[in-house]
Amino acid sequence: MQSWIPILVYLAIASSVGFLMLGASRVLRVRAKDVPPTRELTYESGEEPVGNAWIRFHPRYYVVALVFILFDVETAFLVPWALNVRALGRFAIVEMIVFVVILLLGWVYALRKGALKWQ
Amino acid sequence: MIIPHFTLNDFLPVMPVGVLMAAAIVLMLSEVFLTSTTRTYQAIIAALASIVAGGIAVNNAFEPARLVLQGYAVLDPFSSWTTAMVCLGTFLAVLLSAGFLKHRNAERGEFYALMLFAAAGMSLLSLSAEFITLFINLEVLSVATYALTAFLRRGPRPSEAGFKYFILGAFAAALLLYGAALIYGATGATKLVEVSAALPAAFAKSPALVYAGLGLVLAGFAFKVAAVPFHMWTPDVYEGAPTPVTALMSAGVKAAAFVAMVRTFLFLVKGIDPVIPFTVFSLLALLTMVGGNLLALPQRNVKRMLAYSSIAHAGYMLLGVAALFAPKLVEAGAKVGVLTATPLTGTAQDVSVAVYKGLLFYILGYTVTSLGAFGTISALERREDETRGNTWDLERFAGLAQRKPGWAAAMALFMLSLGGVPPTVGFLGKLFLFSAAVDAGLLGLAIVGVLSSVIGVYFYLRVVVYMFMRPAPIDAPAPFRHWTTELALVTSAVLVVGLGILPGTITEWFSRVGMVFGH
Amino acid sequence: MGLIGYLLLAAGLFSLGVFGLVTRKNAVGVMVAVELMANAVNLNLVAFSRFHGGNTGQVFALFSIAITVAEVVVGLALVILLFRARGDVTLDLASELKE
Repeated sequence: MQSWIPILVYLAIASSVGFLMLGASRVLRVRAKDVPPTRELTYESGEEPVGNAWIRFHPRYYVVALVFILFDVETAFLVPWALNVRALGRFAIVEMIVFVVILLLGWVYALRKGALKWQ
Repeated sequence: MIIPHFTLNDFLPVMPVGVLMAAAIVLMLSEVFLTSTTRTYQAIIAALASIVAGGIAVNNAFEPARLVLQGYAVLDPFSSWTTAMVCLGTFLAVLLSAGFLKHRNAERGEFYALMLFAAAGMSLLSLSAEFITLFINLEVLSVATYALTAFLRRGPRPSEAGFKYFILGAFAAALLLYGAALIYGATGATKLVEVSAALPAAFAKSPALVYAGLGLVLAGFAFKVAAVPFHMWTPDVYEGAPTPVTALMSAGVKAAAFVAMVRTFLFLVKGIDPVIPFTVFSLLALLTMVGGNLLALPQRNVKRMLAYSSIAHAGYMLLGVAALFAPKLVEAGAKVGVLTATPLTGTAQDVSVAVYKGLLFYILGYTVTSLGAFGTISALERREDETRGNTWDLERFAGLAQRKPGWAAAMALFMLSLGGVPPTVGFLGKLFLFSAAVDAGLLGLAIVGVLSSVIGVYFYLRVVVYMFMRPAPIDAPAPFRHWTTELALVTSAVLVVGLGILPGTITEWFSRVGMVFGH
Repeated sequence: MGLIGYLLLAAGLFSLGVFGLVTRKNAVGVMVAVELMANAVNLNLVAFSRFHGGNTGQVFALFSIAITVAEVVVGLALVILLFRARGDVTLDLASELKE
């Protein structure tokens, strides 16, 4: 049970930071006397939002998301490697270079293929 | 911490895979850096890579059997021959694809890259001796084939086939993974050698865990090899996939999954009543042989018929697997130390060697024959057919003998080989396998096998009858001609006849097959 | 909670995954079910790893997570393909291949 205390403390600090920030801005903010109607809009700049938020996203977003998640998860292998690389020595470094180079080649492919182009 | 120390020797079994992977990456990058309009060079690179990889694998097959890479992989003739056969299958499939894709204007480096990645996964699967590597390699091969299945994105059919394959493949992989996790839980090890050593104790302590694990692993493999009753995905996926991919799936994927299954279970049956694995595999073999042939019987769609026929052939291979676990063999094995002890070096009298030989020769025969059969179909289907429903209908083969005698003769040859008619490699494969099964004491099952293959002869010959005795329809398509397709078909046809008449050296090599399983 | 608790939880999650795989009509729902099955196994692996000591199970889980993601990415790409081909991802319609 002892080992859970740091997690509880962490949770308490993390949530109190959020409340503190919101509370501080509530206390410290400047209050306007009359509220202009634009204040109620989603974008205060006066830009009126068009259409519904529940729209179908363009498949391009998915392609980018898929490429991202693939490379994102592969970095999970870097953590155990980084913890042990000192003990494992040169062999581990060579291994990781091979791994990363293969990933990089995949990235070059995605890049040249235009999977990351955003337009 | 153990600092790994590998010698170059350790990497010998993965050399073919290295060649395949390197070529695959080159092909993938060639697609984005070289934008030349003719892409036949990509097929040639892929074909050369599979020849080189196959050559290395054949060379490896004469190395003494041993565990390498700290027990994560094996180097034994069984896996090396499998790798060589996978490379042969990939070589033929690549050549078939070149013409097939060119006709559809869909030639892409990624296609060949995916094929080579799949081949690399198959080769690695056949030599994995540890659950993590086994799972990774199964996924390498599966993910590549999912993508290949849906490669031709015309109409809903390919994406449906791809998604169906994905769902069932992912399900099978999850079953296998769950089983591996339970076995790891029971034994505390993932290397098959250590698992097999710890299994008797684990079995005494928590039999339920071990049984559940074994059952799940078996179900996972049974999906991959398409054994009845885990076969329902096969016809849909085989029909929906591009035909050269279907050819690769029916030959390579199946062979690799079979070898991995045999290896895993030879390790995992330790401490278990030998009757149980024998019964289970016999039952699977029985259902798959009979089921596959009966389901193929009413099919008028030749591609679908071949899909069911591949199930039936998996059944014959399962007969060989069942023979390996036959009580007679297990007893004999206990005496000479085959099933329990160090790598077998093998003499010709040894029954288990005969089974290994039969199994390998059968896989070789099925590889060349099914590549040829699917290859002929792929050359006959036209691009315009994709929107029509009857692309592979029997009618399309009517009168082929008058129009294109060479193609009809090749197709007839492949059909006869699938049916097991001499003098083809299909006949010899069945002969070796069935006689080995009889020697192992599986007389009843072998008789069922022979009878069910007689059913098979009916629907294989029906294609031949249509080609030679029916008049051609008016809109009969001419085969698409491309030198790579023709080269692949001639190679398969020569191998089908050549291995059927003069199997000499090959069988001699296959009788020296050893397999690492436990110490 | 002892080992048996984790095993039961994992078995329950795995069964839920299988159930979802069989009953879900939406392709994305099916993907979620596949992911649930894989993660049930990962839970098992980590629990066993703790039970046995050593880190084999954790390594296994790490690889399993990465591999499953690669698999699911291909699966999602197939879903997009299915959507482009048909404008719908309901699996009821995915029966053109059935005869």
